[in-house]
Amino acid sequence: MQKANSVEQEYELICVIVNFGLGSKALKAARKIGVSGGTIMLARGTADNRWLRFFELTDIRKEIVLMVCEKELGRAALAEIDRVVKFTRPRHGIAFTMPVGGFIGASHHDYEFKEQNGGETSMHRAVFVVVDKGKGETVMEMARAAGVRGGTIINGRGSGIHETAVFLNMEIEPEKEIVLMLTPVELTDRIVAAVREGLKIDEPGNGIIWVQSVTEAYGIVT
Amino acid sequence: MGRQGGRLNILVNLFKDNVKTVIPIAAVVLVLNFTLVPLGFSLIARFLVGSVLIIVGLSLFLFGVEIGITPMGSLTGTSLVKTNRLSVVLVAGLILGFLISIAEPGLMVLAFQVDFVTLSEISAWNLLVVVSIGLAVMVSLGFLRVVVHMSLKLFLLLCYLVIFVLAFFTQPEFLAIAFDASGATTGILAVPFLLALAVGISRLRKDSKASEEDSFGLVAEASAGAIMSVLILNIIIGTQEYAVASLEPIEVTNTAIFLPFLAHIVDAVEESFISLLPLTVCLFVLQKTLFHLERKQFARMVKGFVYAFLGLIVFLAGVNGGFMAIASEIGLRLAMLENKAWLVVTGFALGFFTILAEPAVFVLTHTIEDVTSGYVKRKAVGAALSIGVGWAVAMAIVRILTPSMQLWHVLLPGYIIAIGMMYWAPNLFVGIAFDAGGVATGPMTATFILAFVQGAASAFPGANLLRDGFGMIALVAMAPIITLQILGFIFQARSRKQGVDTGAES
Repeated sequence: MQKANSVEQEYELICVIVNFGLGSKALKAARKIGVSGGTIMLARGTADNRWLRFFELTDIRKEIVLMVCEKELGRAALAEIDRVVKFTRPRHGIAFTMPVGGFIGASHHDYEFKEQNGGETSMHRAVFVVVDKGKGETVMEMARAAGVRGGTIINGRGSGIHETAVFLNMEIEPEKEIVLMLTPVELTDRIVAAVREGLKIDEPGNGIIWVQSVTEAYGIVT
Repeated sequence: MGRQGGRLNILVNLFKDNVKTVIPIAAVVLVLNFTLVPLGFSLIARFLVGSVLIIVGLSLFLFGVEIGITPMGSLTGTSLVKTNRLSVVLVAGLILGFLISIAEPGLMVLAFQVDFVTLSEISAWNLLVVVSIGLAVMVSLGFLRVVVHMSLKLFLLLCYLVIFVLAFFTQPEFLAIAFDASGATTGILAVPFLLALAVGISRLRKDSKASEEDSFGLVAEASAGAIMSVLILNIIIGTQEYAVASLEPIEVTNTAIFLPFLAHIVDAVEESFISLLPLTVCLFVLQKTLFHLERKQFARMVKGFVYAFLGLIVFLAGVNGGFMAIASEIGLRLAMLENKAWLVVTGFALGFFTILAEPAVFVLTHTIEDVTSGYVKRKAVGAALSIGVGWAVAMAIVRILTPSMQLWHVLLPGYIIAIGMMYWAPNLFVGIAFDAGGVATGPMTATFILAFVQGAASAFPGANLLRDGFGMIALVAMAPIITLQILGFIFQARSRKQGVDTGAES
């Protein structure tokens, strides 16, 4: 993990959507390759068919796995997850990656946002903060003090570099909260700094932050 | 994600899950059949038909619970809190608690048994109403607890202190009836509804940790209410000697294979109808007064009730027609063997596997996964439950084998341990553990395991069928409280971050 991560480092967000129960396997596969951690959320998927709709048989429990890592590592991790989950077969789930502008946590401490959408400048950025369950509200308070107008807290579970326990052959993934905030570009650095400072993210085990570019945003009052 | 192809996914998945839970039970029975106690073709065939019915019935029922009863419960909880009037919340708690309890088929059976055993000294209606009131009051207080942010540990501690004091003044028969009443009231429909209700009520708390912890505990509080009310009933009417008319063991006279199921279907339809009726009435009343759901959403819930109704009929027909007779036969035949150890081992194995086919257990583990976003996995809770219930059934058998052993010899130390552990166990797991106590005593335990234990007891001239059978249910309700809190300790220890405090620059 102790890679000399220069500011040149490019990060990616890996997003995997699979049937309930496979999320932990996907995360385990990625960690084997060297991804430092990930967060899993519960979700629902739906199917489209008139008869099934009548019998209300359309809902399927899904899991969404989010992982942030260096770009090259992401490629390898995705290949390994594919080997386990087998996305090419029908109904085995989907996976995709998105560029990440900046990442703090899991021993990456150099934060400097880099636009990654081909020079197209955007008005907003999305700030994601993953913390232990119960701290989401604290993050919101810090961010609000720094000028953000609102945010969304999503429940999840996950494991980072400090959480690697196994019990009865299953990974123990403590509960997390993901805070998503859309912020104006000029405010982002201040908010990131406030949360980073408030949570002591530079000390291990206190959470991670990543920031992504947003091309368009509606409904944000400034 | 693909949009074509047969997408009966959820039902198929439920079906697969249930096949996996029923197969081990069938395997234990078949192994016994071919080794220690040959049971004959007709019983085995009935048992296998019963297994298939249970798998189908459980799948339909659980699906109905998922789209009908659970959403209704949590919506009720949330809507009640949103009215922002304490009086509404408390009165609703009383009404809902009373209605689910009074319509519980298991409690009715128990009430009529008590009526019979006490030679109508305590009429069935008396007991039914008293237990329902007790449960209603405790559900209402349980709501109040969440609203005023009182800790579940403290609340449960107070409940059990009251129970201990009351138990001191009651006679042994009533102690057994009280614990059985608590198992009986938290039955197949009450548990999913109460669990969802608690999730709905606590969901609105801003503190996400507290909200998660308050999602559990309501079933436990309701069970405690049932116990208290029976104990109080006994103190009011005073101790007296009852000419205990002992229960007859289940007779195996019928050799037909499908006929018993037909005979049980009528009962099953009636039972399912009665138990679903109050919730269905509530659903329509609440829709008009509180929910005001869109047609489509409401239709989905109604369809869920239809699924649950059909599933319950098939499930009950399967359990009563195929499982009861064989269990009591196995119990009786094993008890007559020279080596009694087989009886204890079989008891453990049956308890271990049967609990996983208990409908409410599936609902509980599912709720836990949803509330904790998958942190506390179904497999872990299932393992803890299996070990606990297996141990409880084995203990019940040991107690039958040793007449000098009283029920409280096991119950008292057990509850002292369970309550003592509460002090150190994580809040979330305390709620889960005490809820699991009520959850474990569902229709599978109350029929299949009870028949096994009573069958074994009937081989001994000295055993009291009523007391020994009831004792088993009390033990099954207690053991998971201990094993799940142990699971809590394990999760607490394993979730701790490694190398954070020591090596700050990992």
